Amino acid sequence: MAPIPPAPQAGDDSHQQLLDQLDLTLMPRPFRNPHWKPSQRRNKNIKQIIGEASRKEASVLVTQNNSGSSTPHPQSSANATGSVTPLPGSAQVQTNITQAAQNLSTMVLERNLQASLSSGPIATYTNIESAPSLHPAHQKHYCDITGLPAPYTDPKSRLRYHNAEVFQVVRSLPQSAAEKYLEARGAHVVLK
Amino acid sequence: MTIRSAQYINHSSSADNSDIRLSPKPPPRVWNSIEPPFKGYQSPPLGGYVQSSKKTAVVIDNGASLLRAGWSFDKSPRVAFPATVARYRDRKINRTVSYVGYNAYADATTRGQIRNAFEPGTSIVGNWDVMEGLLDYTFASLGITAEDGGVGRPIVMTEPVANLGYSRKTMTELLFECYSAPSISFGIDSLFSYRFNKGRHGLVVSSSHTATHLIPVLDSKPVLSSATRLNWGGFHGADYLLKLLKLKYPTFPGKLTEYQTEDMVRSHCYISQDYDREIASFLDWSGLEDRDHVIQYPFTEQVIIEKSEEELARIAERKREGGRRLQEQAAKMRLEKLVRKEQTLEYYKSLQEQLANQTKKEIKRLLDEDEFKDEAQLERTIQDLEKSIRKARNKDVGGPENIEEVEPSYPLLDIADENLDEAGLKEKRHQRLMKSGYEARVRAKVEKELEKARIAEQERQDNERRETDIDSWLEERRAARLTLLQRIKERDRLKADLGNRKSLASQIRMKTLANLASDQPGKKRRRGGDDDNFGANDDDWGVYRTVATGEHSDDEEEEDLGAGLKGVEAQLLKYDPSFNENNTLEAQSDWTQSLVHAFLRGPRPFDPESQQEAHQIHLNVERIRVPEVVFQPSIAGLDQAGIVEIAAGVINHGLAKQHDQISVLGDIFLTGGNTLFTGFDERLKRELRAALPIEAPIKLRKAKDPILDAWRGAAQWAAGAESNQRFVTREDYQEKGSEYMKEHNLGNATAA
Repeated sequence: MAPIPPAPQAGDDSHQQLLDQLDLTLMPRPFRNPHWKPSQRRNKNIKQIIGEASRKEASVLVTQNNSGSSTPHPQSSANATGSVTPLPGSAQVQTNITQAAQNLSTMVLERNLQASLSSGPIATYTNIESAPSLHPAHQKHYCDITGLPAPYTDPKSRLRYHNAEVFQVVRSLPQSAAEKYLEARGAHVVLK
Repeated sequence: MTIRSAQYINHSSSADNSDIRLSPKPPPRVWNSIEPPFKGYQSPPLGGYVQSSKKTAVVIDNGASLLRAGWSFDKSPRVAFPATVARYRDRKINRTVSYVGYNAYADATTRGQIRNAFEPGTSIVGNWDVMEGLLDYTFASLGITAEDGGVGRPIVMTEPVANLGYSRKTMTELLFECYSAPSISFGIDSLFSYRFNKGRHGLVVSSSHTATHLIPVLDSKPVLSSATRLNWGGFHGADYLLKLLKLKYPTFPGKLTEYQTEDMVRSHCYISQDYDREIASFLDWSGLEDRDHVIQYPFTEQVIIEKSEEELARIAERKREGGRRLQEQAAKMRLEKLVRKEQTLEYYKSLQEQLANQTKKEIKRLLDEDEFKDEAQLERTIQDLEKSIRKARNKDVGGPENIEEVEPSYPLLDIADENLDEAGLKEKRHQRLMKSGYEARVRAKVEKELEKARIAEQERQDNERRETDIDSWLEERRAARLTLLQRIKERDRLKADLGNRKSLASQIRMKTLANLASDQPGKKRRRGGDDDNFGANDDDWGVYRTVATGEHSDDEEEEDLGAGLKGVEAQLLKYDPSFNENNTLEAQSDWTQSLVHAFLRGPRPFDPESQQEAHQIHLNVERIRVPEVVFQPSIAGLDQAGIVEIAAGVINHGLAKQHDQISVLGDIFLTGGNTLFTGFDERLKRELRAALPIEAPIKLRKAKDPILDAWRGAAQWAAGAESNQRFVTREDYQEKGSEYMKEHNLGNATAA
């Protein structure tokens, strides 16, 4: 471990020189694309990312439900009744292309959905999290203050404690400290 | 780095008495707190870029604790630094500066600006500006000079299991757009480590900085659908220890930081083989010296100027001298006074003699001269003088004091007023006064005697009761003791409560103060009219006791309670066979008996004056409490199953075929920095054995280097032929977009 550099003194710029040596902005970085302009809003936290992903997924499902595969195509029904005369060749081809494209995207989506359903659940960041323990032996109680086994709980602060001596400590704790002890165990009250 | 071996601690007998406890102990083993991890200027490793060709990949293990990077032909990473950047505008030199990795710890200013690339506690990049800084520094340190305006080398990078689509997309864009990488590939760090350790079928247990993952691998192919993550890693352990220590020492004068607790977890914690048994006796007295680790933080000892013996003697002498001089002066003054008084007495006596045979008129004249009214007054004056002279003499010479007060006679009191002249009446009045004064004194004396007799009688009765009916007597004493204890406790609580502004006690106090201070008297007083009869009742003055909170506000009471308790305890000690020395309050508040003392201060006495001891942290229970969370996440409030339950679940439910289960059990592979605790593998094996069918063959092994093997595996893979078709090229990116990826056996699968 390197020793802490001495505090910078007035008139002594050795520390500033060291800092300059360490400064990334002064290092040559020719490998960077000079025209690279990152998006201003690229920093997102996990909650945002997951939220956006699930919204996107939901909207895809909605469009699939409303897609042509589930409702009869107006063109074909019109043709069947014969109330509308088919248009001459060129227009016919054009509608067929848009129709085909629409059907294709639907087909791809449906295919993907099927694939995902058939091959079992896909590992996603959220669903690989392990579930809460169901093992009864894992619900042991330990003293919040000392970590020793805790047969008692203080009904006032809800802290678990080991013996009478620790109880005195518990009772002498200010409210904020008791709350922090609970927080370390994840049992604190969260106001939303 | 010393990781002490786990020890089995036997239940200590309760027989160890305080003699052993008080016996001097060897000085504690002390570890110093660590300094910020600044390494000074380090010149970049040379030569790598020159050796590399367009085929050699830059391998980056993008870990949340350390980013490690090197070339695919390297044996180990060339650079490794924390994923931190301190970027800010320096006002002195008026430009933006940024320091990466260890450089960010250069001084207090840079340390204050540190930002982490990853979202705290996860391996997901949350701050892409910092990530960009890290990559800049990586490529700069590797000495990459732009050949075609970019890094010009393929990039292999690790990513978390089931990485989020957005993160991968943004990273891909960054690498292709900003650094113009020709091709990139992502893989999972623990799978690289497993490949490097030549595993084919097995269960990869990777406990790293931000999370613990379990991934079954069949025929070198990960079964990602049954991979499981436990949100606990080295970061969380350090964070948990920091929380615990801040609660343990709420007034700690030093600064506790995360890199320090991280180091404490690494150096002092170990996995207990039998947690419940070991923790229950962890604070027992026997062997606590070994279990209790002391971390010393820097401190400055308060300088107490030690005076030499000689100097002290001189000061004492000077003091004595001063006292003597004062005494002498006082004695001299007293003597002078005495002499003066004697002279006066002499004069008055001669005057009296003169008066003896003079005419009345002459007497009157002489008396008037000396401003006496009559002879009686002269007589009294002489008497008074004689008395005071006698007193003064006694004081100086130390003779016996004239104790017995002779009852004066009051002859005039019996004579009727009519028979007295003016002077006689006056004299009578005086005598009456004298008489009542004397009588009052006598009465007081009698009362005192009576009181003494009453106390003696009470004691006698008490003794008698004790002798006749010891049980009820003892019962009474015990009750008295409890009441006293209760009162002491109440007082202490009140004292503590007054410190808290919101407590009932302080609120009542504030109300009293406001009432006392208000010009308009409260309702109660108004009802009683204008007359404020405050003080008529003695209890009224108690208000000042409730108002005063200073140091000496209730000294009196304290003395009283303490003395009373001592008296009762002494009696109990004497007569109650079931009450012994250990039961007294003093013994109970003795530190050698205190569990909390052992927890906070270890097995040695604590001197609150010592700066050295005030700057010490004692790690005892925490040494096994913190790493235990991987096995019992509920300890730290994590609502997830422990590592053993997960492993059993992955094997039993994640793998359908029996022979797959067996082949996976044959190779349980531990990797990641959080598995480095002593006893981790033993404990895991033991608990797995308990959780799995008896016939299951369990084999467990550790990565050769649980920390670096992920990078080595990635480098090996990148250098080999297997990876050739697994890179996403620039053309792929331009044609298929930023979310396009190629699956391979060491990476994540495409999301739907």
